[in-house]
Amino acid sequence: MTDIVFKFSTNSSASDSGSGEDASSDRDASSPDNGIEAGLASPEIKSPVPKSPTKTSGGKKKGYASNPTKATRVVHTANRTLYTAGRPPWYDTHGQLKNAFVIGISGGSASGKTTVANKIIEALDVPWVSLLSMDSFYKVLNSEQHEQAARNEYNFDHPDAFDVPLLAATLQRLKEGKNVDVPVYNFNTHARDPHMKTLYGANVIVFEGIMSFTSKELLKLMDLKVFVDTDSDVRLARRLKRDITERGRDLEGVLKQYSTFVKPSFEHYIEPTMTAADIIVPRGGENDVAINLIVMHVHNQLLARGFKLRNKLANFEHKDEPMPDSLYVLVKTPQVHGIHTFIRNQETNRDEFIFYSKRLMHLLFEFAMSLLPFKSVTVETQPGIEYSGKRLSDIKMAGVSILRAGETMEQALREVIKDISIGKILIQTNLDTGEPELHYLRLPKDIRDYHIFLMDATVATGAAAMMAIRVLLDHDVPEENITLCSLLMAESGVHSVAYAFPKLKIVTTDVDKEVNEKFHILPGIGNYGDRFFGTDFTESQV
Amino acid sequence: MNPDVIPSVPTLDDELFKTSLKVLRVTESVRELQTMMRDKSTSRSDFIFYADRLIRLVVEEGLNQLPYRECVITTPTGQTYNGLQYEKGNCGVSIMRSGEAMELGLRDCCRSIRLGKILITSDEDTHEAKSVYAKVPHDICHRKVLLMYPIMNTGNTVVKAVNVLQEHYVNEKNIILLNLFCTPQAVKQIQTKFPGLTIVTTEIHHVTPNHFGQKYFGTD
Repeated sequence: MTDIVFKFSTNSSASDSGSGEDASSDRDASSPDNGIEAGLASPEIKSPVPKSPTKTSGGKKKGYASNPTKATRVVHTANRTLYTAGRPPWYDTHGQLKNAFVIGISGGSASGKTTVANKIIEALDVPWVSLLSMDSFYKVLNSEQHEQAARNEYNFDHPDAFDVPLLAATLQRLKEGKNVDVPVYNFNTHARDPHMKTLYGANVIVFEGIMSFTSKELLKLMDLKVFVDTDSDVRLARRLKRDITERGRDLEGVLKQYSTFVKPSFEHYIEPTMTAADIIVPRGGENDVAINLIVMHVHNQLLARGFKLRNKLANFEHKDEPMPDSLYVLVKTPQVHGIHTFIRNQETNRDEFIFYSKRLMHLLFEFAMSLLPFKSVTVETQPGIEYSGKRLSDIKMAGVSILRAGETMEQALREVIKDISIGKILIQTNLDTGEPELHYLRLPKDIRDYHIFLMDATVATGAAAMMAIRVLLDHDVPEENITLCSLLMAESGVHSVAYAFPKLKIVTTDVDKEVNEKFHILPGIGNYGDRFFGTDFTESQV
Repeated sequence: MNPDVIPSVPTLDDELFKTSLKVLRVTESVRELQTMMRDKSTSRSDFIFYADRLIRLVVEEGLNQLPYRECVITTPTGQTYNGLQYEKGNCGVSIMRSGEAMELGLRDCCRSIRLGKILITSDEDTHEAKSVYAKVPHDICHRKVLLMYPIMNTGNTVVKAVNVLQEHYVNEKNIILLNLFCTPQAVKQIQTKFPGLTIVTTEIHHVTPNHFGQKYFGTD
């Protein structure tokens, strides 16, 4: 299982930059050169000038990936932040993706790009920010180039040192809100580590690197381009301090490298790209005024892009439309009807509520199973006697529950599908905006290969279900391989989900007509999670 | 959705046959359960898992035969809902030993239902079924009885068990037989002898998976 936790303000980061502040190396110096793409080197070396890469120390995760988080996030009136904790919808009412906001940061070596990126992320106070560093995309070196690098003769300060096509493809996917696998570059072996780091789709992407403005392809993907312009004396002073005191290099070597390589490279490749920038930040990370301006701008952009999903979904006009073909409702036998009577009744105590819910879930999953593809087989039932039967086609199945109410369905799913793996998605409603927000994600590895039973006890507007479906689609699960299973749905939810995702199967045990202003289904079942877990106020004596 | 009809299913021209025999709606998924149970190569652990699933479906279908009445309730949102309420006064009776495998499925649906047991063995010389032991609720004559027996070949065992119930003044119209696999001749015998009794099954086939008891309880 991949365990990706989006804590309240944890920004996922795949940066492996050896930034000025990150001197310590946590990379194993003797790690074997067995990267996936080792050997697929691009032998373009333009500069024979002896030089060591500007980033010599091994990469280290950015500190702010684990920055101390604020316990609670409140609505930010000063910056007009609406987001509190989870990820708000990143798609429209039709389930279609809207692009993430990409901030590109460039600047010379030791100019304070990382500090600026850090400060922007901190001041944005928006979760679901991903930081992508260009340093992860250094090209893999062949053995000859590797030796050159060892002799400090390989040019790492050149645009050709980066795998721009891969970088552009990665950034494009991130911008589309999808998850990506970012290579982990090993500065000792000059190869990519065999494992990749997964970055999840985010609403804001910060992309930083010395050469980030040199490619037109990359520039097109950026919504805001920030150039950090720090005086060259200051940058040299920082480099000297860092390389001598933290990396144990001698003064002469550092100066030589700077004058023969870093400085020409800056003047030739980096400084001219300043014209591409929207904002130039003098003095780097200390410039609070500039950073605040950037943050305000991004906030306004995010607000302008925001969608008010739930209200729209609840008021979606489908009144006279017939139920979609992708909806499968369990046959209402006397037992099913009787179970509904039990669990819908406000007088039913929790013990009975749980018992009858579970019975209904079992029937629901048996029903959902019958919609899967089967193949014909012949088996031997007694010596010499054959029987032509059915067997489930070779598909892998997994359950994904939408916390908290969907979790109640996991046991019933296990009763029907042996040893099924189960992922979880936590989506909560933001009480200020009424919008669903994504907080937590834990999905089986290679989820794209699975047929998914997506579970939520009730679906009213479909807002949470759509977010969960969007998450699955962003993980490359084909739409037709998802079955949405719930005990009770409202017509508006059925229509919204079916309209947005027509190939998905919707399986439920009953469909009610209406949704009230609190987004409760009518006549409905009440707050399912509260009734199941006993967290409602009315039942304190039980 | 519906799988191929098995050729050996008896014709349903008899009126009696239609009303008192309920065959589970066989989806491909149900057919898979039957296949897994029939397949000799199925492991014991899988066999139990798939048998329990099939039993659960039969029990749910059996419960659908029980009486109910309409009622109106109020939901937590303050709205009314037109529902159904089951009548009280049911019980289960399992025919030992294989019938006991179905008790769990029944209890999963009706937690505190009363359960009786009847032990029928066949006489070693005459091969005639005879009742050895019976313990049923004392007021069973006033109850609907869910009689559980998973595999029927001749139907002799069930006939004997129904005789035992009749000795306790149970009306055959109040008996619902929960069964997984049975042969046409078993159906015929039961319907001839007890026309009022309801049979719920998943498949009528000349060959039944007779290894059920051994495989479920692990006494090969």
